[in-house]
Amino acid sequence: MSFCLETYLQESENYEILLSRAGFKECKQVIEDNSKEVIHVKAGEKILGVRIIGVPPIAIGINEEKGTITLPYTKPCYGTSVVELPIAEEEINNIKALDIKE
Amino acid sequence: MKKALILLGCPEAPSQTPMAVYSVYRLTSLGYDVTVASTPSAMKLLEISDPEEYYIKNKIDIESCLENLEEGSYDLLIGFVHKDAAVSYFVTFYHILNTTSLAVVFEKDHDLLASFVESISESTDANIVSARAYHNPTPLRVKFDRAIKKLGD
Repeated sequence: MSFCLETYLQESENYEILLSRAGFKECKQVIEDNSKEVIHVKAGEKILGVRIIGVPPIAIGINEEKGTITLPYTKPCYGTSVVELPIAEEEINNIKALDIKE
Repeated sequence: MKKALILLGCPEAPSQTPMAVYSVYRLTSLGYDVTVASTPSAMKLLEISDPEEYYIKNKIDIESCLENLEEGSYDLLIGFVHKDAAVSYFVTFYHILNTTSLAVVFEKDHDLLASFVESISESTDANIVSARAYHNPTPLRVKFDRAIKKLGD
């Protein structure tokens, strides 16, 4: 079964919100400052079953030791949050393949 | 028939709903088949403003629209932007659709207005109109009309 970020955030408590209801630029900075490895993706790329919303290049943090990724999550009325959540190793590889290598 | 997508943000700014109805009217009169993508709360305001769907024939939830969006789905993108999140949504729709686009940016605060315009102009080649507006849609309507006329020329 494919992973869906939207459902995961509704049904699980196993994630950390590093920043909430913020601007996109602040969120990008938090991801870049708090991640061991950072890749950048195009706006609208599908990650974990949802399109990533933001101003490109969009930073995605990766921590292979912890097995987590950190990404921006935007809702129209609530602004952007930064969420760190655990994901499977093969998903990390799929996400790394989306790096636009600035 | 050409297809236009109007993207609405959070509906807390009073100018947005009348401008949405007005832009559907203008684009329809120019021959576009117009769809409005919005949050459920913005859609509720549209449903009450246009109860017999006289103007707005096609409405879609913004999240479902985004999930199924592909390059070439629309010939024109119009985005109403009055929050940081709306900048992100507009820029994302712009990059997926890769089509003629117009951002209609409005805010009461001058610095916020300038920062929204800057973010969009730095990350897209979209046409942008902006006005310090919140309750009164007239400055936006005037600039919107000019921009639409220019796009048609």
